[in-house]
Amino acid sequence: MIKKLLISTAVIVATTQMAAAADLSSMSWDDVVTQAKEEGELTWYVWYLTDDLRRAAKTFEEEYGITVTIPEGTMEGNLEKLYADKARKTGDIDVFALGWDSYTSVDLSAMFMPLTALPKDDNRVSDLAGIDAGEYAFAFWGNQTGIAYDPTHITGDDLPQTPKEFAAFWQSHPEKFGFNYQNGGSGPSYYQNILRVVSGADFSDPSDSKEHLAALQPGIDFFNAHAENYVITASNADSITRISDGELWMAPAWEDHLAGLQNRGEVRKDIKFYIPEMGMNGGGNGVSIPLNAPHSAAAAVFINWLISPETQTVFNKEFGTAPMNAAADDSFALIPNAMRKYSTVSPNKPFRSAMEAKFTEEVVQQR
Amino acid sequence: MTARQWITVTLLLMPGLGLIVWLIGTVVYIAFAQSFGLYNINGESALTTAYWADLLGNNIYLRSVRYSTYIGVMSAIFSVVLAYPLAIWLRKPFTGSMTIGSILKAPLLVHGLVAAFLFVNVISYHGILNQFMQWIGIWDGPHRLQNDNNAIAVLILQTWKNMPFALLLLTGALQGISDDVLDAARDLGAGSWARFRKIIAPLTVSGMQAAIVIIFIGAVSDFAFQVIAGPINRQSLAQLMVGYKGRGDWNSAAVVGATMIIVALFGSAILAGLSKIVMRGRLK
Repeated sequence: MIKKLLISTAVIVATTQMAAAADLSSMSWDDVVTQAKEEGELTWYVWYLTDDLRRAAKTFEEEYGITVTIPEGTMEGNLEKLYADKARKTGDIDVFALGWDSYTSVDLSAMFMPLTALPKDDNRVSDLAGIDAGEYAFAFWGNQTGIAYDPTHITGDDLPQTPKEFAAFWQSHPEKFGFNYQNGGSGPSYYQNILRVVSGADFSDPSDSKEHLAALQPGIDFFNAHAENYVITASNADSITRISDGELWMAPAWEDHLAGLQNRGEVRKDIKFYIPEMGMNGGGNGVSIPLNAPHSAAAAVFINWLISPETQTVFNKEFGTAPMNAAADDSFALIPNAMRKYSTVSPNKPFRSAMEAKFTEEVVQQR
Repeated sequence: MTARQWITVTLLLMPGLGLIVWLIGTVVYIAFAQSFGLYNINGESALTTAYWADLLGNNIYLRSVRYSTYIGVMSAIFSVVLAYPLAIWLRKPFTGSMTIGSILKAPLLVHGLVAAFLFVNVISYHGILNQFMQWIGIWDGPHRLQNDNNAIAVLILQTWKNMPFALLLLTGALQGISDDVLDAARDLGAGSWARFRKIIAPLTVSGMQAAIVIIFIGAVSDFAFQVIAGPINRQSLAQLMVGYKGRGDWNSAAVVGATMIIVALFGSAILAGLSKIVMRGRLK
């Protein structure tokens, strides 16, 4: 009896969800917008810059009369909420933001509805940093790690591009270069790419086997040989603050993080940014609609607005993000488009986690 | 007692004690169970000692245990040592003693995160301390004081935050000592040190033990001070646990969490015993 009840409930839930998804896809875009306005509200789960994003969403609210609510939460916490809501007929999440590299660890078709109801636009991005989210997610936030530097001490021609040139900089300017190994991904992106180039290890292989990790040893030795000449900072923000303060001349940073701090007047506006030729990790964040979203039409209209060329241009100007719509204007970015060819893909877990643990133990804790 | 009386007592205790035991018990049980592979959030649950074996052979974990124990012990000692003379001074009320006591207890009202950020600002490369030292001519240039390898910044913050708590407990214990007892000792020729050693210390040992144990437990599990002002080449147990959790390795995080419980439990028992021996000259 209980088994029958459970099966019946599961079937009802599944068919209702599929019906909701199918309903949206079969509607014309005008009908979706009409339904969205009737729904009148949506909840966007996004874990960062929530105050700024609430402000940015005001434009959408004014244009469509749909209220956007952004609750506070971490990415991990939001993911746990998404999974916890999965079995409910109607969940609490309408639009779900996720770090792009996390799409590899989520069963997209089981969690999200296809975004086929949106008007066609070939300029959008659903394949980023080697990960194709298909029709289930679109990138709305492009971010890139690189090196922030103080132009009063170092000029464009002298910027280090390779591990060898970085080592030369460390030696000629001791304790003027810093990077974080935790509390943010810019420092890890830096040391991972140095390890990749110096060791020649295969970063496309996600294996955390002993042999694969042992291949990193030349890179580990490289850092230990120069340990006295560079500084390890506490976080992404600490690195930038210490450049702004004049203590450091160079440090890894996120492009959007630096631009945001500069726009808000929290760090010096003259700090510059570049991607070294050896490469540093780039990526982004995407948005999807959960299968049991309570306001799926409003969510679709919101995503369409979020990834439009106009909004992406505003994001580029306000937040310093790399636009995730090819028709957007990226002239406000900290770096020229040509430099983005040095963007590399972050290595996958479990190799990345094992490499981070190895670096912490064999470099950071040996200082 | 009869069975009926036992039931009555149990029912009377249930709302208070039962809730505490249930809340703490479930959390501790799940932490230990996860450390042995049960209650897995990701994947199948299976009883295993592999997570403990992995971490016991891991240098990062062992250094974290040593580091957190060091922070816990030193913070407790510094806080109590600084609080004693202040508590003795404030034992008998005098004009302004209430104001001084309130100012000394002010750190209890300031959140640790706020204190840590303010402190980092003070000691930063171009912060007030560096500028002052250069202005008076002691230092030629700015010194890098942030995230020092010996965790002096963390110990300063822990002592600043916890000393008022020790002061609160010790002042209460000291005010419980009758003037007659101290006057009698003075009449018998006991000097300041002898009065402290033979009267004040033994009579305030319970308050001191409570302070030392509570401060130790809090400092062993510190996260906020460590992340902001702590050394880069060491990780506290709480920091390590959050790191594992962030990587989705809940079982290793549970091992570190269980370790924190064990260190807090045994460490506080050892500290309480040692402090009694030091203050009374004997264990009982």
